[in-house]
Amino acid sequence: MAAAVETNLQPRYIDVDRQVQRAMAPGGLTYWLWVLFCAFLTALGIGFWTNQVYKGLGVTGLTEPTMWAPYITNFVFWVGIAHSGTLISAILFLFRVRWRTAIYRCAETMTVFAVATAGLFPLIHLGRLWFFYFVVPYPNERYLQPDFRSPLVWDFFAIGTYLTISTVFLFTGLIPDCANAREFATGWRKTLYSIFSFGWQGTDRQWRNFQMVYLLLAGFATPLVLSVHSVVSWDFAMTQLPGWHSTIFAPYFVAGAIFSGCGLVLTLIIPIRKFWRLQEMVTIWHLDNLSKIVLFTSLIITYSYCVESFMVWYSQDSLEMTTFHQRYFGPQGYLFWIMVACNCVIPLLLFSPRVRTNTVWLFIISIFVNIGMWLERFVIIAGSLATNTMPSQWRFYTPQVTEVVITVASFGWFLMNFSLFAKFMPIVSMTEMKEGISWLRQAVRTSYPYRKAA
Amino acid sequence: MSDVAVISTFHSDEECAQGILALHDARIHEFRAFFPFPSEKIMEAVDHVRAWGRSPVRYWQLFGGITGVLTAIAITFGTSWEWNLNVGGRPIISVPPYIIIMFELLILIGGLSGLTGFFVHNRMPVFDLFPGYRSRFSEDKFGLVVQCEESAAAKVESVLRDAGAEDITREILEAATGHH
Repeated sequence: MAAAVETNLQPRYIDVDRQVQRAMAPGGLTYWLWVLFCAFLTALGIGFWTNQVYKGLGVTGLTEPTMWAPYITNFVFWVGIAHSGTLISAILFLFRVRWRTAIYRCAETMTVFAVATAGLFPLIHLGRLWFFYFVVPYPNERYLQPDFRSPLVWDFFAIGTYLTISTVFLFTGLIPDCANAREFATGWRKTLYSIFSFGWQGTDRQWRNFQMVYLLLAGFATPLVLSVHSVVSWDFAMTQLPGWHSTIFAPYFVAGAIFSGCGLVLTLIIPIRKFWRLQEMVTIWHLDNLSKIVLFTSLIITYSYCVESFMVWYSQDSLEMTTFHQRYFGPQGYLFWIMVACNCVIPLLLFSPRVRTNTVWLFIISIFVNIGMWLERFVIIAGSLATNTMPSQWRFYTPQVTEVVITVASFGWFLMNFSLFAKFMPIVSMTEMKEGISWLRQAVRTSYPYRKAA
Repeated sequence: MSDVAVISTFHSDEECAQGILALHDARIHEFRAFFPFPSEKIMEAVDHVRAWGRSPVRYWQLFGGITGVLTAIAITFGTSWEWNLNVGGRPIISVPPYIIIMFELLILIGGLSGLTGFFVHNRMPVFDLFPGYRSRFSEDKFGLVVQCEESAAAKVESVLRDAGAEDITREILEAATGHH
C-alpha cells in the first residue's frame, strides 16, 4: 500500500504526456453536442446581426443618449476577461510562480479568444459595417490625419497590440508542446502539430533561444496588460461625462479585469479538469491559489467602489452626485446592487478554505463574478450615459432582443472557439509541467493541507 | 572513413548534464543535446561547455523596440506637422498622448522582431530531423548525439556509458547530413 502511494507521488514525465494526450483524444458525443450548441448560439447571433445590418441600428434599443450600451459593455467586458490570461501566463512567469504551470495555457487561450471576441463589438456597434476601415487610423482621401490625442485611436493601437502579442505568446509557448504532440499523433493531426511545431526538436540551441524569447515576451506583455485596460478606461475617463470622468478608472478597471478574468478561468478550468480527467494536473491547490487572486481583486474593486463614491460625495459636484444617486437608487439601481452582491459580497465566501477547495462552490462563485463584472461595465457605461449633463435628454436604456441575442451569441462564439482549441491543442503545458515535476511531487506529498477535503 | 552519430539516451537531466561535462573533459565537442523541457542543469552544462553566453534574440527585441518607438514618433509627429492646424490653442505636437502610441508600437514591433530572431537563430522551420533525433527526446528522455568518425565512436560510447547513458546506438551519417 505504501509503495502504491509512493508511486502516485512520483509522477513521471511520460505521465504528463499521457494525461494531456487523453484530454486531446477525439471528443465524444457530449463534447460535440456542446460545440454544436455553441455554434448554434453563434449562428443565431450572426442572424440577428445580419438583420441589424440590413435594417439599421433602429432594431436595437440604442438611442440618445445611451448609444454605447450594451455593445461597448460587451467590448469592455471581453477585453477585461482577457487580462487575467496575461497575468497568469506572463506576470506570474516573471515572478516564477510555480502553480501557474497547470492553468496558464487555459488562461492564455482564453485571453486570445476573449480579445478576438471583444474586437468584434466595435464592428457590430457600427451601423454601416462597410465603413469599418474608418476606425483604422490612417491618412485618408479626405486629407484628415488620425488624431493621436483621441483615446479611441489609443484604443485601436492598444487592442491591436494586445491581440498580436497575446497570440504570439500563446503560439510560441505551444511550439515545444506541439512537437511533443507530433510524436504521438497520427493522420491530419500529425500534420497540424508538425506545422505548429516548426520542426522543433528540443536541441540545446533551440531551448536557449526559446527561453530568451519567452522571457522577453513575458517582459513585454507585463506592462502591456496593465496599459491596455488603462487605455480602455480612458475611453471613458477622458470625457467630461459625470460617472466617467474619474482618475481612479485605470487601476480600478485593471483590478476589475483581473478579477473577472480569473473568475472566467475558474469557470472554464473546473469543467475541463472534470470532464477530461485532468484532476492530477490541475489540482485543488491550483484552484485554491486562483481563488485567492479572485478574492484579493474583489477586495480591491470593493475599495474602488467606496473611493469612487467618496470622491463624488467629497467633490459635492451636483452633476456627479445626481448621476451616482441615479446609479444607486434610480430606475435601474437594482443592477448596481446585484453588481455589489456579485462582486463584493459573494466573493467573501472565498475567505473560507472549505469553499476555496470545493469545485462546486468555486464554479458557482465564478459564475456570479462573471455576471457581476458584466453588470459593472453596464452600470458604468449605460447608467452614466443615461444621466448626462442635460436632464431633458435623460433616458435609461431598454434592451431589445437583438442586443440580448448578440450578447449571448458572443459567449457562444467564445466558448465554441475555446472548446475546439482546447480539444485540438495541448490545454496544459506539457513542457512546463515536466519542468516543475519534482516540485509538484513535493507539493502533493507535503504541502497541501486540504487534500482530504478535496 | 564515414561519419557516425553516436546516440545516447539518458533517464534524467542530471545524467545528461554529466554526460555533457564528460564529453567536454574528453575533448569531444561535436555533440547536440536533446531534452523535452528546458532543464536548468543541462543548460548550465551546455553554457559551461560551449560558452555561448546569452541568446542573441534579445538584440532583435531591443532593435525592434527602438524601431517601434521611432516609427511611432514618425507617424505622430509627422502627421501633426503635415496637418498643421491649431485647434483651440492646443499645441500642434502634443507629446503626452503620443507616448501611448510609442509604447504600443515598442511592444508590438519589439515582440514581433524578437519572434523573428527566435526563428532565424533556430533556423526554423526545420524540415528535416537532425541526425540521431528520437521521438522520446520530446517526451521523457534526454539525448546526447555525438557526431564523429567511425574510428572514434568506441571512445565516445565509453565516455557516455561511464556518464550513465542507459542506451547507446550508432547511426551511419551520409556526407550531406553532417552539420552542427
